[in-house]
Amino acid sequence: MQNAIVTDLNRCVGCLACSVACKAANGVPVGSFWNKVLRIGPNPKSPGAKCPDVEMYFLPIGCQHCANPECVAVCPTNASHKLADGTVQIDKAKCIGCQFCVMACPYNVRYLNDDEGVVEKCTLCAQKIAQGELPQCVEQCGARARFFGDIENGIENLEGPGEPAAFEKDKSYEAMSKTRVKLGDYVHPFKQDELHKLPDVGNKPAFLYILRDRQWRGKE
Amino acid sequence: MQIQWELILFTSLIAWSAGLFGTQALAAVFWRTKKIQLTSWIVAAVLLIGGGVAVFLHLKHWERIFNGFGHLTSGITQELIALVILVVVAIAYLVVMLRSVDKASVPKWLSILAVAVSVILVVVMAHSYMMVSRPAWDSFIWVAYVLGNSLVLGPATFVLVAAFAGGIELKKVGKWLLIGSIANLLFAIAYAVFVQLVGSSFAEVGMYFDPNHPTKAMADINAIVDAQILLLWLGAVIIGSALPVIVAFVAQKKNDIILWKVFACVIVVCVIAGAIAMRVVFYNLGLSVLMFY
Repeated sequence: MQNAIVTDLNRCVGCLACSVACKAANGVPVGSFWNKVLRIGPNPKSPGAKCPDVEMYFLPIGCQHCANPECVAVCPTNASHKLADGTVQIDKAKCIGCQFCVMACPYNVRYLNDDEGVVEKCTLCAQKIAQGELPQCVEQCGARARFFGDIENGIENLEGPGEPAAFEKDKSYEAMSKTRVKLGDYVHPFKQDELHKLPDVGNKPAFLYILRDRQWRGKE
Repeated sequence: MQIQWELILFTSLIAWSAGLFGTQALAAVFWRTKKIQLTSWIVAAVLLIGGGVAVFLHLKHWERIFNGFGHLTSGITQELIALVILVVVAIAYLVVMLRSVDKASVPKWLSILAVAVSVILVVVMAHSYMMVSRPAWDSFIWVAYVLGNSLVLGPATFVLVAAFAGGIELKKVGKWLLIGSIANLLFAIAYAVFVQLVGSSFAEVGMYFDPNHPTKAMADINAIVDAQILLLWLGAVIIGSALPVIVAFVAQKKNDIILWKVFACVIVVCVIAGAIAMRVVFYNLGLSVLMFY
């Protein structure tokens, strides 16, 4: 099992709702982020191209809950560990604040919480997914671009929040938060070579990004 | 990566301590002078304790250290194991030395063991920072450089102790100092060249913007590398590594007791300054592969 998030970058509008929702749900300190959105571009569509022949996309970045996480390998106390659901978690009671996991992360998404003296990062909203809910960044995605689930069951089966039309008569928040739409039924078709990962240095990031008709920037 | 001063002190002091303990153990094969050996052992122990205090200051919750401590793939665990082995060998060394007839003899095998554990500690310590996520750190040249620090700091401090205590021919240890300082210089140049060329190892995304930090400039690895030139080449290479070679060479040529005392001090100060400068560069360039977060 490997829980992960797949983001359709052609749908992402860079509203930062995922970032804000994450902070609200997880109490992330001011100045720190579990989930951040970068604008990649505008970059020339082809070498030497000039405006208006440019392109850009928004890229939400957070812990990639890697299959072979370096942060777990370097942790001296097993505070950073990988759970059976594939997520990488930090047991704060075991963290000694040595920050070697911060150094070992290729994406720099971990940080030291100065007040608690421990390292923090995205938990994939462990408190929510344990109750069958979606991670807050998926649930609150303004463009329905993010989908969550066990990636080993096929990415077409990952789920996002449902369309309002599916709520039928009950338009309550509870009904809305329980209604789902599957990635395979919802996003536009994409080819295998349009699936991308953040740079992999042997850590095997679990998160995927769909980007069609544009050039993926950065190593994979 | 933010500069971690406690770890800079830790790696510098441990390299120094292991270098001195190793040099003293190697010297014991050739000379048996209680005062020099015991003084060197004590200085090495003080440096080791200093390093230990520095690393404890780095930990935010050291009281939790045994809360599951012992994950073997962790560089910190490996460091602690190497450190404990060195402490055990050092204590055994002291006991055997003080129990010998002349209070200065140790068996050859114990001397060689002491040298070996000193080298292993420095290698394991430096290796714990080799991380594929940080391209500027991910090279065995870094390990060689830290070992180079030991190779010059150990003999320099031993020469200083011996110059004050007397009883051994300084020119012989001076030769070790010269060889050690040359090794340190070569490793420093090699690592400096390595970090100058590390720019291409990072992920490039072209133009980008971080809406959470709208006034922050884009990360530019080449500019960051360029900003280190003074610290790297003047601080770590010229002052920290080349100057000690010249001073060691002159001291060897003159072979004067006063000059040995002064020059050994100069070498220690230069190498420590260079080691700190190199470690500051190490942290300044310690950016993750994806350096935009």
